[in-house]
Amino acid sequence: MQQKKGLLDILYQNLSSMRLTVSLFLTLAVCSILGTLLPQGTSLEELQRRYSPTLSWWIDTLGLNDLYRAGWFRTILLLLCVNLIICTMQRLPKTLKLLQHRDELISPERLEKFNCHIEITAHRPLDATRVQLTKIVAEEFAPLQPLPNSDAFGAVAERGRWSRLMVYVIHFNVLVILVGALLGSIFGFKGFMNLAEGETSDEVMLAKGMQAITLPFQIRCNDFAVSFYDNGAPKEYRSDLTIIDKGQEVVTQSILVNDPLSYDGVTFYQASYGSILKRVEVELQDRDTGALQRLTLPYREVVPIPGTQDEIEVMQYQENFSSFGQAAAIVLLKEGQQPTGSWILIDMPEFHGNRIQNYRVKVSNVEKGQYTGLQVKQDPGVWFVYIGFIGMLMGIGMTFYTSHRKLWVWASPGKSRENSTTVFMAGRTNKNSLAFEQEFNRLCARLQDDLNPKQK
Amino acid sequence: MDSSFLLSITTFAYLLSTLLYLTGVLFRYRPLLISGSIVGSLTLFIQTIGILLRWQESYQLGYGHAPLSNLYESLVFAAWAIMLIYLILELRTNQRVLGVFPALFAFLAMAYASFSTQVDSKIQPLVPALKSNWLIAHVVTCFLGYAAFAISCGISILYLLRKTAQSNNPHPKGVFALLPAPRQLEQFNYQMIVFGFLWLSLGIITGSIWANSAWGTYWSWDPKETWSLITWLVYAALLHARTIQGWRGNRAAWLSVIGFGCVLFTYFGVNFLLSGLHSYATK
Repeated sequence: MQQKKGLLDILYQNLSSMRLTVSLFLTLAVCSILGTLLPQGTSLEELQRRYSPTLSWWIDTLGLNDLYRAGWFRTILLLLCVNLIICTMQRLPKTLKLLQHRDELISPERLEKFNCHIEITAHRPLDATRVQLTKIVAEEFAPLQPLPNSDAFGAVAERGRWSRLMVYVIHFNVLVILVGALLGSIFGFKGFMNLAEGETSDEVMLAKGMQAITLPFQIRCNDFAVSFYDNGAPKEYRSDLTIIDKGQEVVTQSILVNDPLSYDGVTFYQASYGSILKRVEVELQDRDTGALQRLTLPYREVVPIPGTQDEIEVMQYQENFSSFGQAAAIVLLKEGQQPTGSWILIDMPEFHGNRIQNYRVKVSNVEKGQYTGLQVKQDPGVWFVYIGFIGMLMGIGMTFYTSHRKLWVWASPGKSRENSTTVFMAGRTNKNSLAFEQEFNRLCARLQDDLNPKQK
Repeated sequence: MDSSFLLSITTFAYLLSTLLYLTGVLFRYRPLLISGSIVGSLTLFIQTIGILLRWQESYQLGYGHAPLSNLYESLVFAAWAIMLIYLILELRTNQRVLGVFPALFAFLAMAYASFSTQVDSKIQPLVPALKSNWLIAHVVTCFLGYAAFAISCGISILYLLRKTAQSNNPHPKGVFALLPAPRQLEQFNYQMIVFGFLWLSLGIITGSIWANSAWGTYWSWDPKETWSLITWLVYAALLHARTIQGWRGNRAAWLSVIGFGCVLFTYFGVNFLLSGLHSYATK
């Protein structure tokens, strides 16, 4: 039992040490470098193609190909959080106690030991000096608070007490950011959808695991357009989108790369685009009867061939089919028979294989449309992250650019001369001592001048 | 007179400023140091006009964007930020000896921007991903941070030289005669790191918010993001290490040099060696 407590003590001590903090920072930095040197998100097969079997086994086992999501990397992050929380638990009570502790018995002997201190002799009685002193210090620094003392005047003034708490504000907000990230990864999703112009859908392919989810509303792409600068560089990608909720068109809005659309907590971002087949025009010649038909076949729509019982459909389209150029997979449906189909080579209209059963097929025109690639995201944690960002920045600014400064003043009747007063003043700051020295010296100069005005 | 003329003057004037600072230190001759500051300040003024002119020229070309959109423009801005922050530091501390490295870094950035064949100085239109008000906020904050770290690296090098050469001598002779005491150097260094850390944090955060509004993720572990985090971690380690006994002084100075190495890698290494979302920065 005794030993167990000892172990826990040692663990607690280590977890609350600043050395651990520094080591964790540097460890995280070094590990993160690894992740930028190795390609992330590669599959085991791809690794084996690139590296030797042993090396790819190690990379896969240690999760170096998905390092930032690997268990051990997250463990280091968690350890940093634990370190932060324990450090706070240990230090915050001390800081609060320090801030509550106001009254301090001071004496000239103690004040003389401060780095910043001064002794001034004022040629006036104690009461007058005290009034003057109180006024000047209040104007230049902060109101003096008298300390109980019988035969002399002792007082203390402070500025920026809250500055000591700012470091906790930074650390608290680091935790807020991490909590926001965690909330996002638990309750949010990230995925994409490709919408052809005119298409309506509610299916989002998730980025992870190639699964699809269904949105509680539908989205339609009315139009997609790319514009270019004179030099050929892309200028703007624009998708015109409509949200349809319970059969009602609720929102219609254009989105750009830096200007997404949000609806019901889900946000749609312009991410990519591409072209997609809209319809083809075909000439069908019946080998048996010689009859020639011109038909327009919308992509993936079954069209009856007039004057027959047959139906026809374009199932697939490829820009470059086995290096033969464009090709369309067309299927013929005859009543009571299995559907039969063939890849029709569009760029080689005389190819002998451009036929399905008794029909010779010639594609005379191809009409393509565009689709827009949307990144779809829901992240309820993002506001935590943003609040954490703001809090952290304010904390950093105030931790480094404000300081807790304290000034002690002690005045007693002078021993050498009648009606004179000896004043001791000393000051201390918790950081930025050079700036405080300047502030202190300014105050000293003013005290010298005002307590002993030069008479001419 | 156009911006490219003013910016090429800037390149050579920063070289002159560097040489004045350097000879001033080597020969312990203060007037040289003072002329280094004067040349540096005048150059900064000319460069400021050059940058503003370039901004205006982009409007005349019909593109209309702040000159912060590619490698050339960011290098020019980096040189500008280094000199601006340094000259303010010089004004506040009255230590002109520290000018050697900032002026050198500013010159190197300008020279690289002007003479490298990898860097295209033409004003180009903005690609869709960069069309955002966050562009100015993100680039300015990041580069103010980088600039402060560059100055801190320079001070750290001086500190380390001063320490190794004449560690025990309070009144060193020769080249180091004009250098401030190690304690002061440490203090200046700390001020620069704190300043840089604040701006780097702002830079990462603005970048993060921008990424969220453009791509829907505030953090995607893209190499540039990751390297900026690595840089941030190194400086965070430095700031925390100061509270541990024995970590001020030499170790802190070394960490600052390493940190600036990370800055350089974040800026150049990631662009040229690793691929990612920031690929437009290589052109």
